[in-house]
Amino acid sequence: MAASSPPGRAGRAQQVAWVLAALVAILYPIPFEQSGYVYYETVGFLVLLNAMLGIGWNIIGGWAGQFDFGPNIFFATGAYTAALLSIHFGWNAWLALLGAVVVSVIICAAVTYPITRLRGHYFAIATVAMWMIAQPIGATWELINGSRGLFLPVATGGGFVHGMLTMEFAGRGKGLGFYYLALVLFALTVWGARAAERSKLGFYFRAVRDDQEGAEGIGIDSRLYKVIARCLMAAIFAAGGVLYCFWALAVFPDQVLEVNWNILPMMAAVVGGLGRLWGPVLGSIILIPISQLMTATLGAGPLAGRGIDLIIYGAVIMLIAGWRPNGLLSLPWERWAARLLGRAPAQPVKS
Amino acid sequence: MPALLEVEACTKHFGGLVANRDVSLVIEPGEIVGLIGPNGAGKTTLFNCISGALHPDSGRIRLQGVDISRARPERVCRLGIARTWQVVRSFGRMTVLENVICGALRRTNRVGPAHARALELIAFTGLAGKEDTPAAGLTLADKKRLEITRALATSPRLLLLDEAMSGLTPIETAAAVELVRRIHRELGLAICVVEHVMEVVMPLSHRVVVLDHGEKLTEGPPAEVARDERVITAYLGDRYRARG
Repeated sequence: MAASSPPGRAGRAQQVAWVLAALVAILYPIPFEQSGYVYYETVGFLVLLNAMLGIGWNIIGGWAGQFDFGPNIFFATGAYTAALLSIHFGWNAWLALLGAVVVSVIICAAVTYPITRLRGHYFAIATVAMWMIAQPIGATWELINGSRGLFLPVATGGGFVHGMLTMEFAGRGKGLGFYYLALVLFALTVWGARAAERSKLGFYFRAVRDDQEGAEGIGIDSRLYKVIARCLMAAIFAAGGVLYCFWALAVFPDQVLEVNWNILPMMAAVVGGLGRLWGPVLGSIILIPISQLMTATLGAGPLAGRGIDLIIYGAVIMLIAGWRPNGLLSLPWERWAARLLGRAPAQPVKS
Repeated sequence: MPALLEVEACTKHFGGLVANRDVSLVIEPGEIVGLIGPNGAGKTTLFNCISGALHPDSGRIRLQGVDISRARPERVCRLGIARTWQVVRSFGRMTVLENVICGALRRTNRVGPAHARALELIAFTGLAGKEDTPAAGLTLADKKRLEITRALATSPRLLLLDEAMSGLTPIETAAAVELVRRIHRELGLAICVVEHVMEVVMPLSHRVVVLDHGEKLTEGPPAEVARDERVITAYLGDRYRARG
C-alpha cells in the first residue's frame, strides 16, 4: 500500500516536491504560448493523454496482472460514441464524454466476461483478437461512416472558458486549451486510480494477479474483478478517445484503432514501473518527448525516411527495459533524495 | 440441527483414475478431524471437492444443510469454509499485512476495519513484526502461517489445512501444531487437517479418517486407528506385516 507522507522533514520535502510538480504541470505551456512554439503544447498534450491511458492500462496490466493488448478498442468506442452524440444530437462535449464512458464500459463488460475464463498468454491473445475484430468493423460499419470517418464541426469562436466547457477552440488558443483539458482529465484519472488502489478493488486486483486460486479460496470472484479492472481501464481509454476526437475534429478507424494507442500506454507503464500509480506517468514523460523529438529532428534532413528515429527510440526502450526491468520507479529514489538533503533516512521509506 | 459439514458418497475421477470413491465424512462444529492416508490416497482431491476447486462426479457435499457440491470456491468461502494449500498460495508481491487484509475484506467492504482485523489476527498467529515483509520473502513456515492467518481473516466456521505442517523442521512443526490447538481453543473453529505424517495428526485430532486408494478405509479415535491392521498395511505395506 502507498505509504502516507512520512512525518517531519522528509514529509515536508515530499509535499514541496508535489507542489512544484503541480506548478510545472500548470505553468508548462505558458512560455510556449508567449513565444509561439505551440508544438510543445501538443507534446505536453500527448504526454498527459498517454500518461492517463497508461494509468488506465496499469489497472488491468499492472494491478490485476492481465496483459491487455487491445485497449484501444475502448479508445475507439469512446471517440465514436462522443462524435455520434455530438454530430447527431448536438450533445455538449462533456456530456458526450460521460455517454462515451458509459457505453464503452458496457461494451467492455459484455466482451470481457467471456474471456475472463482465460489467463496469462491466453487472455492476452484474446484481447489481441478483439482488436483485430474491431478493425474491419470500424472500417466498414455504415453507422460510423466506415473508413470515410466522422467529422466534427470546426469551432468558430469563443474564448478560453467557452473552449474548456465545450472542448471547441478556434484558432491559436487550441494547443493551450487542449493541454489544459488533458490536464483536467489526467488529474481526474490520477485521483480515481489512487482511490481505487487504496480501496477493496486495489487489494483484490493484486490478489488475483499474485495467485488466482489463492484469491478464489478467500472468497474473491476472480472473473468479476478482472471484468471490473478492464472496465475501469475502458472508462479511462474512452475518455482519452473523446478528448482525441475533439482535438482531431475527426474520427477515422485507422487512427483511433492505431496500434500506438495500445503500445505507448503499455510501454509507459512498463518503463516507468508496472503496478505503481506514478509509473506510467514517469514513463510517458520520458517516452513521448523522446519519440516526438526524434521524429522532429531525425525524421527530416538527410536521414529522413529511413526510420532512424524509430530505431533510436526502440533502442532507448530496450536499454531501459534491460537495465531496469521493474521500471524506473523501482530505483532507490528515496535514498537518493535523502542523500541530496544531506542526511540518511531514519528508516527505509516505502512507496 | 444438521452437521457442520457432510460429505456423502463423494466420487471423483480423473480420466481412468479414481481419486475418490464413495467417500463419506461428517464434521461437527468445534471438532478437529484428521484426514490421513499414504501419498496418492485422495486427500487433497477430497479437500478440493469440499472447497469448490473441483466438483465431485457424484455424491453430495453440504455445509450446514446447504448443498455446495457445485459451488465455486469463492462461494464456498463466503459460506464459511476457508482453506490453505499444500503448495503455498500466498500473494507474493504483497506484504504480510496486505495478504491478511485481502482475507479480512471478505466480511467488510472498507479497508479500515479490515486493516484493524488483520493486525489482530497477525498478532494472534505470531506474525507480528513481519507486517511489512513481502510474502515472497518469508520462510516456508511463515508462508504457511500467513496462509492460515489469511484464511482465518475470512471468519470461517470450518478451516481446512492441507499439509500445513509438512516440509517444516521439527521445531517449526511443533509451533504449527501449537497454533492449530490455539485456533481451536480460542476461536472455537472446526478444523480438518490433512497430513501424511502420523505423528502430527494423531495427538492433534479428536477423530481420524483414513483414506487409501481413494476409498475410506476406516475412521475413529486416533488410538484405535493407529492399531488398526488395515491402516498399518496401507502405510507400511504387506511385507512389514508378514515379518511381524
